[in-house]
Amino acid sequence: MEAGTIARPVTSHGAAVSHAKPRTGILKWLLTTDHKLIGVMYIWLAFFFFGVAGIFAMVMRAQLSAPGLHVVPPEIYNQIMSLHGTFMVFFFTIPIMAGIANYVVPIQIGARDMAFPRINAVSFWMLVPAGLFMLVSLFLKSGSAAAGWTSYPPLTSREYSPGPGIDLWILGLHLAGAASIMGAINFVVTILNLRAPGMSMMKMPMFCWNVIITQTIILFATPVLAGALTMLLTDRMFGTSFFHPQAGGDPVLWQHLFWFYSHPAVYIMVLPGMGMVSQILPAFSGKHLFGYKGMVLATAGIGFIGYLVWGHHMFATGMDPKLRQFFSFASMVIAVPTGIKIWSWLATIWGGSIRFKTPMLFALGFIGLFIIGGITGVWLALVPFDVQVHDTYFVVAHLHYVLFGGSLMSIMAGIYYWFPKISGKLYNEFWGKVHFWLTFVGMNLTFMPMHAMGMLGMPRRIYTYRPEFAVWNHIASAGAAILGVGMLIFALNMLLSLWRGKPSPPDPWAHEDQTRTLEWTVSSPPPAENFHTIPVIR
Amino acid sequence: MTPRSRWTPLLIFGLCLAAAALYASPAMAWLLHPATAIARDVRGLFYKAVGVTAFFFILAEGILLVAVLKFRAKPGVPAAKWHENVRLEIVWTVIPALAMVILSGPSFTTEKYMDVIPKSDLQIEIVGHQWFWEYRYPKDGIIFANEPLVLPAGKTISANITSIDVVHSWFVPDFGIKMDANPGRINHVWFDVDKPGTYKGQCAELCGVLHAQMFITVNVVTPEEFARWIEQKKKGA
Repeated sequence: MEAGTIARPVTSHGAAVSHAKPRTGILKWLLTTDHKLIGVMYIWLAFFFFGVAGIFAMVMRAQLSAPGLHVVPPEIYNQIMSLHGTFMVFFFTIPIMAGIANYVVPIQIGARDMAFPRINAVSFWMLVPAGLFMLVSLFLKSGSAAAGWTSYPPLTSREYSPGPGIDLWILGLHLAGAASIMGAINFVVTILNLRAPGMSMMKMPMFCWNVIITQTIILFATPVLAGALTMLLTDRMFGTSFFHPQAGGDPVLWQHLFWFYSHPAVYIMVLPGMGMVSQILPAFSGKHLFGYKGMVLATAGIGFIGYLVWGHHMFATGMDPKLRQFFSFASMVIAVPTGIKIWSWLATIWGGSIRFKTPMLFALGFIGLFIIGGITGVWLALVPFDVQVHDTYFVVAHLHYVLFGGSLMSIMAGIYYWFPKISGKLYNEFWGKVHFWLTFVGMNLTFMPMHAMGMLGMPRRIYTYRPEFAVWNHIASAGAAILGVGMLIFALNMLLSLWRGKPSPPDPWAHEDQTRTLEWTVSSPPPAENFHTIPVIR
Repeated sequence: MTPRSRWTPLLIFGLCLAAAALYASPAMAWLLHPATAIARDVRGLFYKAVGVTAFFFILAEGILLVAVLKFRAKPGVPAAKWHENVRLEIVWTVIPALAMVILSGPSFTTEKYMDVIPKSDLQIEIVGHQWFWEYRYPKDGIIFANEPLVLPAGKTISANITSIDVVHSWFVPDFGIKMDANPGRINHVWFDVDKPGTYKGQCAELCGVLHAQMFITVNVVTPEEFARWIEQKKKGA
């Protein structure tokens, strides 16, 4: 491996910072360039926003628990609805995936740190003001952004959203986007160059493959979002008219640019989770991952085709029929590589010796729920059916089966799986399982009825609804309450386990006859610079 | 764990999956009540999609459930060693790919049916405003807003849809029609409503604070009643 020879000497000496006297207290966190500490900070920050966005979700479900309620006024509803989406996508799912990858990937490939430790720290610290912009805007008199996480103009133009909420939203996303592009470069360079001697690409753990493919998607898609955000900002601030129809602009252009990023963003949010599941299923069924090569190809295939399907978010915009057919068929084709992954996971557990620890429960739940999201995804790729249910609760149901059933279940699986490694403590297995069952049952109760609401014709993003949708909304809100209880139990279990959990051995999941990835060969938590001597992979 | 408590969570899991399978079945078809030829085609397409995907759904969730029940770790029973089977991988790549090609057929047919606007008996214009709909009957010189749209049953209606301010979307579920009202663009749809009646819908694209209050009511009447209504409207205007 040519590239490896260039960078390896740097890491085997270690980053300069690590030879200094170890810092303690707050400075240890503020000034660190250690990928493990940065990873942990990403996870904390992401869970903070998960809590905020989760509370928003609870308020929305309270408001929608019956028709005609006044839990919050319409303008506040639109704000928390918009920030729920924005936070969950840009400040929870994407950062927590980056955080877990930050912690795990360098150790899994046998490196001492990321390729650019300082850029790594900058990437993380840029997220903090980005999130603050959004949070601060909630306290403005004119309120925060309230046009959904998609912020379609002209609703987001100066004329229809005069307050600074949208400007802060744009700046926040700009910063988060720039951070994520820098992070992407860092991950790609790290995985290409810093692998331990003997670890060819095709010997990498599956999680690393999913991370490098995800980060490549970020690298090529996020700049397009940045461009679109800049255009929206200059429209608002300097009187340009990219999206103003009165001056020759076109609001539909924003939709193209936004979805050119935001459809690949779905894969940015779900592929790392699929990588985690691909580590966890073999670990708890005592078998190797089935069809490693096929999995790598399928993941790359999803990453590539993911760029060609953005138009399926726009079937009701009056798009050219030929273009619609292209986007429709390309979207259906994605089911094939996704299917390959699902069949391969099922073949991985088939014939295994399954141990039902909490990470395994979440990984199995992930498969079961993601299949549902995948199937409704195929239905939505069919233009006439999509037009029927587009912008209704059916889409809300579908996207939550993908992003809650897919991303969040896999994130939970990953958090439980690596918690002992990261904290050096064991969590409470009983409460972990209670968390899983409340989440699994609550999730289905919340989101399954939304398919029915949407098919009956209830649009999304409304603060109240016609009485004929009431029954389904009662059920969904009851489900959300169960989810809320489950997440509180999760928070308590994690905090108590951090405080007084039993110490974890290097590999708490050890089982005979298993090939384990490198992070389980070092202590929990791993030592500074991860390895005393860089392992050689045979 | 006692054997009983071990099976309880799995039973719940199974019940959830069974509920999901039931949900995805045509038994839930009462969720769509088509009132136009397009909406009937959409429901037909939905049945076909359910039919094709149900096979994969039941197979995948079934394998998951059986694996979870059957391969629980037992002392003395080691895990299998195999982890590759190229033939199997080819099968599960090719068959779903074929299924997608097959499913795209009826989808494209219905799409074409929706897209090609036939010669219409009545042409109307729909204009979205924050937060109400304006309706125009250009041939009769009628313009009004904030009251129900009135249309004749059994006639082919074509509509030009646009917006005066932000993006809205004209959506009547029973018609199978949803079309964005974009400022600066005119979109076209057509439909024919079978039976007289009152049909409800509302704006489907977030358009500001009162998006939830931007309702649509369509009163479909017999052609005779419609002719009378037009005359009345003309006099009133």
